[in-house]
Amino acid sequence: MSRALQPVLRPATLSSLTSSQTSTTYVCQACRHARLLKRPKRPYTFTQLVTLSDGSAFTMRTTSPVPVYRSSRDTRNAPLWNPSSKELLNVEEDEAGRLAGFRARFGTSFDASKEVVAQTTQEPDKLASDKKADVKKVKQAKSDYDIQEEFGSEDDESLLQMISSFGKADKGSAAQIARKKI
Amino acid sequence: MKSSVRMLRPAQLFKDKSICHSCRRELRRAASTQAAGVADDAPGDLESSSFNVPPPSQQEAKQFDPLKPSRQRKAPLPSSRYQYRSPRYDRGPLAPHRPPPPTDPASRQFVPGPFSQSRLESTYHNTIAPDFMTLTYQHRPPGFQAPEKGPRLRSWIGDNPYFANRQLRGPRGGDVLRLLRKPITFRNIPGVERVTVHSYCKDVIYQGSGVLHVAGMALQEITGARVQTHVSKHPESGWGLQRGKHIACTVDLKGEQMYHFLDKIINVVMPRIKDWRGIRATTGDNSGNITFGFEPDTVAIFPEVENNYDAYPPKLIPGLHITIHTTARADKDARLLLEAFGVPFYGKIVD
Repeated sequence: MSRALQPVLRPATLSSLTSSQTSTTYVCQACRHARLLKRPKRPYTFTQLVTLSDGSAFTMRTTSPVPVYRSSRDTRNAPLWNPSSKELLNVEEDEAGRLAGFRARFGTSFDASKEVVAQTTQEPDKLASDKKADVKKVKQAKSDYDIQEEFGSEDDESLLQMISSFGKADKGSAAQIARKKI
Repeated sequence: MKSSVRMLRPAQLFKDKSICHSCRRELRRAASTQAAGVADDAPGDLESSSFNVPPPSQQEAKQFDPLKPSRQRKAPLPSSRYQYRSPRYDRGPLAPHRPPPPTDPASRQFVPGPFSQSRLESTYHNTIAPDFMTLTYQHRPPGFQAPEKGPRLRSWIGDNPYFANRQLRGPRGGDVLRLLRKPITFRNIPGVERVTVHSYCKDVIYQGSGVLHVAGMALQEITGARVQTHVSKHPESGWGLQRGKHIACTVDLKGEQMYHFLDKIINVVMPRIKDWRGIRATTGDNSGNITFGFEPDTVAIFPEVENNYDAYPPKLIPGLHITIHTTARADKDARLLLEAFGVPFYGKIVD
């Protein structure tokens, strides 16, 4: 019913194409819309053994021909993946006490002398003992530092002296440095 | 007894189930010797032997030509198997000789595999998926009925006569109809669907197509799949971009390749990026697809690129955009999934 109302856009039979409809045998002719079926191209891949820094290993398909990949930095030793591990924390390495010695000798207010200032509020006898201990510690550190310093050059020493004398306006030390340089 | 057995035909004899196994074997041997026509009175054993047969005469041996039957054959023998070859061209659905589907090994488009199971994939199936379901479980007491929500598309209400049968109105506050997030059960645990690696090479405009070639090679090496290039659709005078210029290349990864790529990115490449805090947590397209980028410096530390770094011209190593398409319906779920894979996120989380 509704079909009758629709306009006929394409006639069911074309008078000009009657000849093609009569033959029922298949004629092998080239189709204009023939689509070439391309074989998919795939890059050659190898199986690679990936060894992580903690020794665990797994295989992976990769284009790289290297058979074994050893990683030095991965999820097992990156601090972002191991936030609670103390080994990976950025702790200052000071086994020889060199940094501590430097701080004891030339430390400014924000590291070395801070403890002394804090301790002045405590009772005097403990303060004295603490001071003694502090001095001892400093001496120890100093001696350590000197031992270390023996191996260093003299230029370093003069440089450190200059650093230490900076801002003190002490003419004597400046004269010393000048004398040494001469 | 032996004579009575000889009267029976062998087939009939073997069908008889009342005989035990060893007896039947013996009987079969007897029947075979009988069929061979060798005398039963051979000394000691019932087996026939070719030594019992007299050798052919000298004349017969001289006349015998082993190649005679094959020379006489006019047509070659058919090959041992039925070898089907798919047609080279697809001539449409009405053609009498249709190519097989690409999943058929005989098809020209067949891609074999998968040949390996990635570690990440097995971790996902064994650990992450059940954990995810447990994490996102929301208990509802029996008899609980969720409060009804309003319709997502609003109807037109008013006196206007044109409101009748009008197409429904979009949601408030924008035309975007977000995906519905259903409670997660064992049926709809989110997983990674595919990964798109994309590189837009704007230097093509001024330096020529070499940039794109290098980018394509780098992408292929990194992902292990073939690259597809893309043409700019619109001219953009501000960028100096013309219409119809090859400007970008992408790789779509699925299945095995995708999991290997993700595994490599997460476990090997990401930890080696310097001063990297992770992926910004605000990324995502609100429907569970997460995109992040890698700088050229990062691409250079991929194991494959690092391996033959000299093969790439300096300063032409491309940067990448990597989109991880997940089956999650919301960014929150996609982020949770990737965090379980080991991808770090940083910054303010916006849901």
